[in-house]
Amino acid sequence: MAPAVVSLAERPLLTDRAVDWQAMDTKDTASVPAAHDNPDVDLASESDGARRMRFERDALEYVDQLYSAAMRMTRNPQDAEDLVQEAFTKAYSSFHQYKPGTNLKAWLYRILTNTYINLYRKRQRQPQQAATDTVEDWQMAQAAEHTSSGLRSAETEALDHLPDSDVKDALQSIPEEFRLAVYFADVEGFAYKEIAGILDIPIGTVMSRLHRGRKLLRGLLTDYARDRGIKVDRAGKKGPQGAKNQKSTTTTTDHTTDTDKEAGR
Amino acid sequence: MSEDCQKIGDCEDARIQRLYEYLDGALTHQDLEEVKNHLGECTDCSHEYDLECIIRSVVKRSCSEKAPSTLKVSIMARISEIKVEAGH
Repeated sequence: MAPAVVSLAERPLLTDRAVDWQAMDTKDTASVPAAHDNPDVDLASESDGARRMRFERDALEYVDQLYSAAMRMTRNPQDAEDLVQEAFTKAYSSFHQYKPGTNLKAWLYRILTNTYINLYRKRQRQPQQAATDTVEDWQMAQAAEHTSSGLRSAETEALDHLPDSDVKDALQSIPEEFRLAVYFADVEGFAYKEIAGILDIPIGTVMSRLHRGRKLLRGLLTDYARDRGIKVDRAGKKGPQGAKNQKSTTTTTDHTTDTDKEAGR
Repeated sequence: MSEDCQKIGDCEDARIQRLYEYLDGALTHQDLEEVKNHLGECTDCSHEYDLECIIRSVVKRSCSEKAPSTLKVSIMARISEIKVEAGH
């Protein structure tokens, strides 16, 4: 299903707030512009064809990364594809506003985020997760219990070997504002200042969302790891049956359900 | 926790925040050295640091889907239909 077309006038994408993308060219290697993103392009005389080629070469390089971020936003492959396609289409329409040699990746991420907010979040039927300000106290309290001192080495080992599905589930179950900040910092390696530009929030807010998000995520992941760590121990005692038991994921599923119930209490 | 831990933060929350900033590359050179030195001599804090590194690496590993190969093609098809406003 193609996303509904929303007029750009409804919320001007790139001119609404002044973001100094040049200032965001930090030493952060993850965000260094591609070597071929030549700052000397003469935008005034560039033909449509040349611009399209430049866009395909420089911007489309990030299609996998934007898709992965879109998966964290929409939670399903079809919506993620639609979102990325829409974001690139908008980026191309505004490409003349992008200053070559500045932070193209962050620029694209900002468009992706705005497109998501404008097109998808509005029409999502599913109930929204707890908003930033209403994260239940139990969640933060639970997360606070999970400091490393409570983790045995088998559990730390299990944490390192958690299946991707557990990690995605955990990330998906923290509130969206936290999730995106954590994703941008930990997966994409964006600096605080860049995340502030992408999400259009102050740097202090970026830091507090990261702090709270990471804490919640750590709590969930160590729960998963603890379940798996304990299972490994039991399997060891049972001998040959062990390997079989280790593969079971039922504990993880049960855990998720319990958490949901508790959240909805 | 040793008394030395006070050097990087007054409470556990502050110390974790400090470790986040350390890992995020958000500290000044001087602060960075301070945290680095402390990590060299404190088992609790370096365990905390290791744990945070593990979490980051599993998150990164788990969240790197590849877009379907058809996506790039359909994006290119769509932008080839766009006529950018004249004058820009």
